[in-house]
Amino acid sequence: MEKFARNEPALWMIQLFRVSKIYPPNYPALTDIHLHIEKGEFVFVSGPSGAGKTTLLRLLFREEEATEGQIIVNGRNITRLNGARVARLRQAIGLVFQEFKLLPSMSALENVALAAEVVGMSRTESRRRAFHLLRELGLKDKHDARPPTLSGGEQQRVAIARALVNDPILVLADEPTGNLDAEMAEETMRLFLKIHEKGTTIIIATHDSGLLRRFQHRVVLLQRGRLMADSKTAGRSMVSKVEP
Amino acid sequence: MKLAQALFVLRRVLRSLRELVWTHLLTSGTMAMTLFIFGGFLLIQENLQGLLRGWGSRIQIFAYLENGLSPADLQSLAAEVRAYPEVESVRFVSKTEAWESFKKTLGTQSGVLEGLPPDILPSSLEIALQRAHRQRASVAGIAQRLRGIKGVGEVEYPDEWIEKLSLLVLGVQWAKWILGGFLFLATMLIVGSTVKLAILARKDEIEIMQLVGAPAGLIKAPFIVEGMVQGIVGASLALGVLWLLYLLARYHLPASLAILPSGDQLQFLDAAAASLLVFLGWLLGAGGSWFSLRRFLKTW
Repeated sequence: MEKFARNEPALWMIQLFRVSKIYPPNYPALTDIHLHIEKGEFVFVSGPSGAGKTTLLRLLFREEEATEGQIIVNGRNITRLNGARVARLRQAIGLVFQEFKLLPSMSALENVALAAEVVGMSRTESRRRAFHLLRELGLKDKHDARPPTLSGGEQQRVAIARALVNDPILVLADEPTGNLDAEMAEETMRLFLKIHEKGTTIIIATHDSGLLRRFQHRVVLLQRGRLMADSKTAGRSMVSKVEP
Repeated sequence: MKLAQALFVLRRVLRSLRELVWTHLLTSGTMAMTLFIFGGFLLIQENLQGLLRGWGSRIQIFAYLENGLSPADLQSLAAEVRAYPEVESVRFVSKTEAWESFKKTLGTQSGVLEGLPPDILPSSLEIALQRAHRQRASVAGIAQRLRGIKGVGEVEYPDEWIEKLSLLVLGVQWAKWILGGFLFLATMLIVGSTVKLAILARKDEIEIMQLVGAPAGLIKAPFIVEGMVQGIVGASLALGVLWLLYLLARYHLPASLAILPSGDQLQFLDAAAASLLVFLGWLLGAGGSWFSLRRFLKTW
């Protein structure tokens, strides 16, 4: 864990050098992506369905391997990693998904504590941390509840608590508001902002152009697997061109 | 693996054993059947070997003497045989003694001997061999030498019986490994399938563990430990059933099967054989799980 989580003096949290991903037989999901994200940045990766947003995130937590190019996370090249190093990388990253990915047979507290326990934290400490996080995210009375009994917004907050339990250097969220109503989506976004304020790098893949307009952060626009625009270089005006 | 992770594995194993008790029992039962068959062969082999050892201690060569030998001839003949390095003891059986012994053997049917002269049976030497020379080849060699001694007529020893029993023991020994081997592989596949089902049942949990950075060893360990527990439970079940059968045979073995040792001479598996069975159960469970995990868990 220390390997990826240690405080690198470098400026960049993520560097992608001419990264391509081609799924068999010959479907290019990402083509020639060149992208740098600074430590502590809050970035939206946007674009229509099939643009390559999810693939980009999956490359970052090494669920997929790039076909070409190099990927550096916190100063470490993760393009080619063995199983043990992939596990260590993921211990330093918090992941949030649209479909929450919570275990229905476990309570909210157990779901959060699981992520800490698998990296070797004691059960007591894992549960203590999980309890504090759930309280911080407004789920004080829900720690014994099982996910199916929680609302979508509550489930997403449990998933966010799980993503935070190991103090990640980077949080990757794939359409985290996709299954939530507008109010819940707003609340969830505010949680990400709170996490970001503590210095954590946040990357959120979303096709919700409303979110991009309401939350003034860097936007990277993908289309058909290519990086079409970056508000960092093109300015915020490009955001208005993003199709809803 | 850290202590906290080891405890985590233990908790997961206990939880799985509690929640999927019937699946685990079914797998243990399958393993128990295989191990029972293997253990049964071990038990038969052990008892046949015991039988062979018992018979071996009683292996004697009977050298029947020609008529008309003087007491001096008899003494020198017995001394000559006693001097053989392979011979442990030599006992002279006179014609009268042979007659009496034969009558005693016939018991109530000894009336059939009426009218026969009591010296009809030849005198003989009963020759017991030292333990190291009780193999078939040794016995045959000594018998051959005895046949060459003047005054010795027929020479007999229980050749066929020893050979057949030795072959039977050898057959059981081979059957144990061949049949046991096939059953072992078949059971390993069944265990593998059960683990595959367990993996599919916990697919989401495994996926989430992978996503949050659980090391591969931590994901696999509970399945392998569960396999070991199933194997040890299976072996214990097999040993239990074998023990019951052993008790049944020991106290209810028909007396008519006089060829077999009497009930109280029957032996159960010794500590080494029982340990082998438990070890095989352990190996079966752990191996089956390991192979299945290799095939079905997603690797990076």
